[in-house]
Amino acid sequence: MLTIRNLKCWYGGIEALSGVTLSVGQGELVALIGANGSGKSTLLQAVCGLLPGWKGEISFEKVPLNKKKPQDIVAGGICMVPEGRLVFGPLSVLDNLKLGAYLRYRKRDHYGIKKDLDKIFSLFPILAQRSGQHAGTLSGGEQQMLSIGRALMARPKLLLLDEPSMGLAPLVARLIFDTLAELREDGLTILIVEQNARAALMIADRGYVLETGRMVLAGKAKELLADEEIKRAYLGKDYARFTEGRA
Amino acid sequence: MSADHLPDKESTFAPELLAQRQLELLQASLNRAHKMVPFYRERFIENGAAPQDVEKLEDLARLPFVRREDLADHYPYGMFAVPLRDIVRIHTASGAGNKPSVTGYTKNDLALWKSLVGRALKAAGINDQDIVQIHLDPGLANWGRDYKDGAEALEASVIPLTPLSLQKQLMVLSDYRTTALITTPVSAGELLESLARLRAAPLNLAVKNLILVGEPAEENLREQLEKELSLTTWLHWGLHEVPGPAIAFECEAHDGLHVSEDSFYLEIVDPETGKPAKDEGEIVLTTLSTRAFPLIRFRTGDRARLVSTPCACGRTLRRIRWLPGRTDGMALIRGVKVHPSQVLAIVEGILGFVPLSCKLFTPSKEAGQGLEVRLGMDDRLFSDEVKELEKIMAGVERGLCQELGVPVRVRLMEQSADVCQNQALIKESL
Repeated sequence: MLTIRNLKCWYGGIEALSGVTLSVGQGELVALIGANGSGKSTLLQAVCGLLPGWKGEISFEKVPLNKKKPQDIVAGGICMVPEGRLVFGPLSVLDNLKLGAYLRYRKRDHYGIKKDLDKIFSLFPILAQRSGQHAGTLSGGEQQMLSIGRALMARPKLLLLDEPSMGLAPLVARLIFDTLAELREDGLTILIVEQNARAALMIADRGYVLETGRMVLAGKAKELLADEEIKRAYLGKDYARFTEGRA
Repeated sequence: MSADHLPDKESTFAPELLAQRQLELLQASLNRAHKMVPFYRERFIENGAAPQDVEKLEDLARLPFVRREDLADHYPYGMFAVPLRDIVRIHTASGAGNKPSVTGYTKNDLALWKSLVGRALKAAGINDQDIVQIHLDPGLANWGRDYKDGAEALEASVIPLTPLSLQKQLMVLSDYRTTALITTPVSAGELLESLARLRAAPLNLAVKNLILVGEPAEENLREQLEKELSLTTWLHWGLHEVPGPAIAFECEAHDGLHVSEDSFYLEIVDPETGKPAKDEGEIVLTTLSTRAFPLIRFRTGDRARLVSTPCACGRTLRRIRWLPGRTDGMALIRGVKVHPSQVLAIVEGILGFVPLSCKLFTPSKEAGQGLEVRLGMDDRLFSDEVKELEKIMAGVERGLCQELGVPVRVRLMEQSADVCQNQALIKESL
């Protein structure tokens, strides 16, 4: 569905991505993990058309995204849940959700929008309770739910998530990941960028590991979860005492 | 077509999906090898190449080859791409120099290997109802382990590789009601001859499938085995180095061997020029999924021809026809690769000096032997006591047998002696 080949991106003079190849198949949940500054978010921004000047190939449903504007990419079926939520604080929860369906209002899909709002409220009941409340007054977890709900209101074919668990309490983060797994079960295609490698790989079909702008590992999520190097680097396991005296 | 023979979804890929996945795995593998293995890093620099130069699969041809000599030069752990603490199995294979090739596997590597061998065996119709017997020479001990793991993954009952006499192997084959046998074409031929000799004592064999490994099987031998033993033969191709057997396997169409392209990138090159060959040439293999021991453009020395037509079985993995002969001067002795320089190094170690000459001969059918080594007689070897000469020969034989894992016969010869007509000279080491 999403195919990226040899993607190169720059921030100023610095090469943030040095030829990254990645793909997401229809109905798959793919996790892209890596340390801070490895280029994960840069990749999502390039896909969404928010980062000009990238080189390589990005195509969605076999259509190249090279010269497409962000709004055209959204209209084509790709939606991003940005890092840090970025909800519209002064607006109500309901208005935030409606804004997600902006392009559909233009197509007068009022019935479909109403139906999807109900779906979002059943997915995240807390949002229904707070629908009239200003989004800025929500907790971090609720804002994340709203941000996901807002993206879903555009009825994406591919949902991109940038660090959805960042700054959330573990229980809330788990709820978010459970919801993503549920959405995947319903057939949504998802690409998730995460520092919480374990949580992301637990729900993913496949995973990629990015290191300083280069892909160093790709494989089935359960294989990556079992990989000793990944455990040490990203899953927070301390192996020091086991390795003493060995090469 | 029975359900057991249906290709699993892991053997059937849309071409563009396979190419995309191969490129993803290849780039990750190159980046890792460059970062973790000084040999690869230096080799790339020497050739003015970098991992990011490979933007499509064909670009891999820009990178230099890796040969068996490189593995020997970096003995023991110089080619490992993960810290030793992540290695769960260390394997030693016969090398191409004074040192053997030492390879390692992570836990994930072993799991991957188990699934690949299991898939190859499944394609031969092996399932949980089978009793699988593994009969290989000690030189193929690691393949024995891999086949055991693969067959166990299919929940078959496995009789693992055990050093037994031919007679005992036959007894197990008959009494244990073995339904699938994994062995080399040479050993299969020996079994057939023994069965013919024992015709008086009827052997009620239950073997349905015979997996032939280690060397290309001649068509007439396969036909003979299938006819006389009422079974189906299947050919597997693999490597002694990482990761092991069954990299390419035959399916029910018996029209070439499917290469596990989801884990390996296959090239066929002209052995002389190293340039891509159109269809026939040397197999060059690049590992895509191996963590501990990545091989980039490894020259296998095996010869093959690409089969370009789609396979009747439905699998989309490309096929090769494994051709006899080698491109690297190594000999295949009962499926075990033997390099003349390795033999010479072992002989030197035992004798304490380099013999005047050392000639290797492939086994003759009549002799039923493994490798034959002929040492040139000179003053250092000569003794006027026959017993003393026999002792020296027995010592060299024992040492070579232990090191190579195949039967070895040593003979002393005058420097001018000619080679026997019915045996092919492999290579003169000196």
